[in-house]
Amino acid sequence: MSLTARSVTIHFGGLVAVDAMDLDAIPPEIIGLIGPNGAGKTTFLNCISGIYRPTGGSVLWNGEELVGQAPHVLLGRGIARTFQSITSLHDLSVLDVVKLGADMRGDLSVGDRMRSLFLSEKALDEELTEMLLRPLRLADVAHTPIQTLSYGHRKAVDLARALAAHPMLLLLDEPVAGLTSQEGMAMAGVIRSVRDRFGCAVVMVEHKMDVVMDTCERIVVMAAGAKIFAGSPAEVQSSAEVRRVYLGEPS
Amino acid sequence: MTYALQLAVAGIAVGSVYALIALGIVLIYKCSGVVNFAQGAYAMVGAYLTYALINLGLSAVIAVIVSMAIMAGLGILTERLILRPMLKAPVVAVMMVTLGLLILSQAICLAVWGPDQIAFPALFPAGALEIAGIFMTYNYVATGFLSALLCVTFLAFYRFTPIGLMQRCAADNSRAALAIGIHVSNQVSIAWAMSAALAGLGGTLLATLNGLSLGLADIGLIAFPVIVLGGLSSLGGAFVAGLVLGVLQSFTDGWLTPSLEDFLRAHTRVYSVGALQQVVPYALLVLMLLVRPEGLFGRRGTERV
Amino acid sequence: MSARSLVLAIAVTAVMVAVSLVVGRFQAYLITIVAIASIGALALNLLIGACGQISLAQGALLGVGAYAAGNFGNAGLDVFSIVAAGLTAALISALIGLPALRLRGLYFAIASLAAQAILEYLFKTIEPLTHGISGLVIKPMTLFGVPLVTDQGYAALSLVILLITWLFMVWVMRTNIGRAFLVVRESEIVARGMGLDVARTKMYAFLISGFFVGVAGALMGFTNRLANPEAFGLQLSVDYVAMIIVGGIGSWGGSIIGAAFVVLLPELIQRLGEALNIPNILSALREMAFGLLIIIFLIFEPRGLVALIRRLTLKVTGSNAANVGQKDRLEPQSANRRR
Repeated sequence: MSLTARSVTIHFGGLVAVDAMDLDAIPPEIIGLIGPNGAGKTTFLNCISGIYRPTGGSVLWNGEELVGQAPHVLLGRGIARTFQSITSLHDLSVLDVVKLGADMRGDLSVGDRMRSLFLSEKALDEELTEMLLRPLRLADVAHTPIQTLSYGHRKAVDLARALAAHPMLLLLDEPVAGLTSQEGMAMAGVIRSVRDRFGCAVVMVEHKMDVVMDTCERIVVMAAGAKIFAGSPAEVQSSAEVRRVYLGEPS
Repeated sequence: MTYALQLAVAGIAVGSVYALIALGIVLIYKCSGVVNFAQGAYAMVGAYLTYALINLGLSAVIAVIVSMAIMAGLGILTERLILRPMLKAPVVAVMMVTLGLLILSQAICLAVWGPDQIAFPALFPAGALEIAGIFMTYNYVATGFLSALLCVTFLAFYRFTPIGLMQRCAADNSRAALAIGIHVSNQVSIAWAMSAALAGLGGTLLATLNGLSLGLADIGLIAFPVIVLGGLSSLGGAFVAGLVLGVLQSFTDGWLTPSLEDFLRAHTRVYSVGALQQVVPYALLVLMLLVRPEGLFGRRGTERV
Repeated sequence: MSARSLVLAIAVTAVMVAVSLVVGRFQAYLITIVAIASIGALALNLLIGACGQISLAQGALLGVGAYAAGNFGNAGLDVFSIVAAGLTAALISALIGLPALRLRGLYFAIASLAAQAILEYLFKTIEPLTHGISGLVIKPMTLFGVPLVTDQGYAALSLVILLITWLFMVWVMRTNIGRAFLVVRESEIVARGMGLDVARTKMYAFLISGFFVGVAGALMGFTNRLANPEAFGLQLSVDYVAMIIVGGIGSWGGSIIGAAFVVLLPELIQRLGEALNIPNILSALREMAFGLLIIIFLIFEPRGLVALIRRLTLKVTGSNAANVGQKDRLEPQSANRRR
């Protein structure tokens, strides 16, 4: 079970947004992907989550090529991701969104699916609330339309949705951006406990250095589309190279 | 061979009118992001207006010009009264509004002029031109020539004049255009005005060929195979595609249908293939969507999800 | 749907069925055409209102249902011709959607326009199945061997099928398929990014919607005893779009109200015209009214009559009565529990 991205490259017109990027991720490690604005972190994430099709390189997950596959196929293979900007999604409630996520699990058989169509709503709701919403402190708002929730809550819902698909690789796009310092630390704790519980690998793109240093076991630094450094948090913090390219945000 | 040329020439004449209508739809689409299902209505109303003006005593040329001016005004009116309030609405809703407009226009024309076909006053001398064995009525020649002329003039205007440049900026990236001082909302109004006026002329010309009736609005429908073939955001493509489709229809009517019917009558009990030339453009549309949805001249990638 | 709503719906239907069996022919006819239009409107609402895919092929698909039912019925398929007609229309609907499956919604609208034109042509030319321009004569439907010949009978049948359609729609929106529809409607890009199989979701919408349109078409065929090309043109497609706009996109109850409105308006205008002695303006008036209504509703009240009624009741009686329409709203049941 591993992710092996090699020489991933993507052009937009004449601009090279990601330049021969490599990344490895083996469950259950938590990897941080950091770099200055415009370094191509989210773009790279899009390349390995089926949103963009890279112009070059390969992304192998358990030996199978991911490049060119749509997001729903990747979900079926166990790769889920969260998003920075979360749309309101009409009147759907928290549970609705999470149920949609749960529906995308790759490990459901046809029989399971048929059964879920007729299963009592209440039983399903309770199960999902206990398993996913309670750890994320969303149990109280399970039936609330997400468009009325705060940004922090909506991010948590997005995470719950991704988790509902039982991923083995979780790609997080700035999970603590826009959260208060307290909320951010709580989210970091949640990410760690999720990893502990599910045993999945986590790759998180993030700017808040304190969260990254605290949560990640390995950090990859990107600048101008390419990988410029990789190492443990301590190594990254003491690297002159990293400091030169990227003045980290204050803790 | 002469016959083939005859068909081709007739096709180009009608195709030019298609192009004129299609140009208007593409223009509006580029500016407002909306597909105007009511373009055919503009054509129809333009024709009825010309008819009414001629009946009031205006000379043909003046009537056509005034009719186009009124259509331009109607275009601006549509944009201001209907599009502007719906700026925040989903594109789906706006397209349905244009459908509503189509229904409304047809209803008004029905109420004022009745459901029957009306003979349109002759705008061009009777008689036909003969070149190299090909016969074309002056009417056909004038229709084709005028439409093509207007298409090309419009394309040149769009490409080479300062206003054309402003139009292109506003259409490509309205925020950037605003930033550099272009009055985008004015440009949008101008686009609608031009589209409506061109459509009105197209309708008038078509009425000289086929008579004046509510059915003129149908040309707004045949514009869709044209723009899918040409590319939804390509003006030049609309022009070329219009001509191609006109020729395609002409050949279907003049050669494919008779040949097919001969064959079928000889080998099966099938007697007729019906109005094949009406449906061939739509079959082509479906084929294009499957094979090359961006059209012959469109930019790849903007269509797919 | 709560047990209470279910019982209410069944009760209302039962009453309406009883009524339709005792009224005169003309009233029964009116009930039938409103019921049939409602079924078609519900189906279209699933496609447009729930999934955001505009279709202009409704008229032709109704025709497919009618012609299919005629052929199946004449071949002796009894009441199952209705189901068979639905399946045929579902298949055609899927075919229509196929070219535009991976394209933006606007291309589906254009594809449906092409489909409408192509199907109309086929209705006129595939003589063995459709008898071309002269139309297909359809024998009365047989219900387990017993021919259904009265207007009242068809009214009752249509009402029962309407109930089944309604229940199905409400149920679908409670499943993951329904939720997926809503996300796709919101934004196909977001849906795709979230991991929804957008193509498959759209296909479900085409198939389900197509099926019920076919059923409505079948009922039309049996009721009119005839299917001819002129009856299933673009005008009919636009009529149905008007129904769901006027009634309220995204509201099941609204679809039925819209259907009743669009179908009964001509009758009303007819009576008005006869009373005031102005026959000629009639059809023009009706079309003018539609055009204006579509435009006005879309600009000012996109949620249609249902929302209008709700707003008025709110002003007049206070908040409680306003919830009446709420239960019909095209939203998953869980969001309703907040109240």
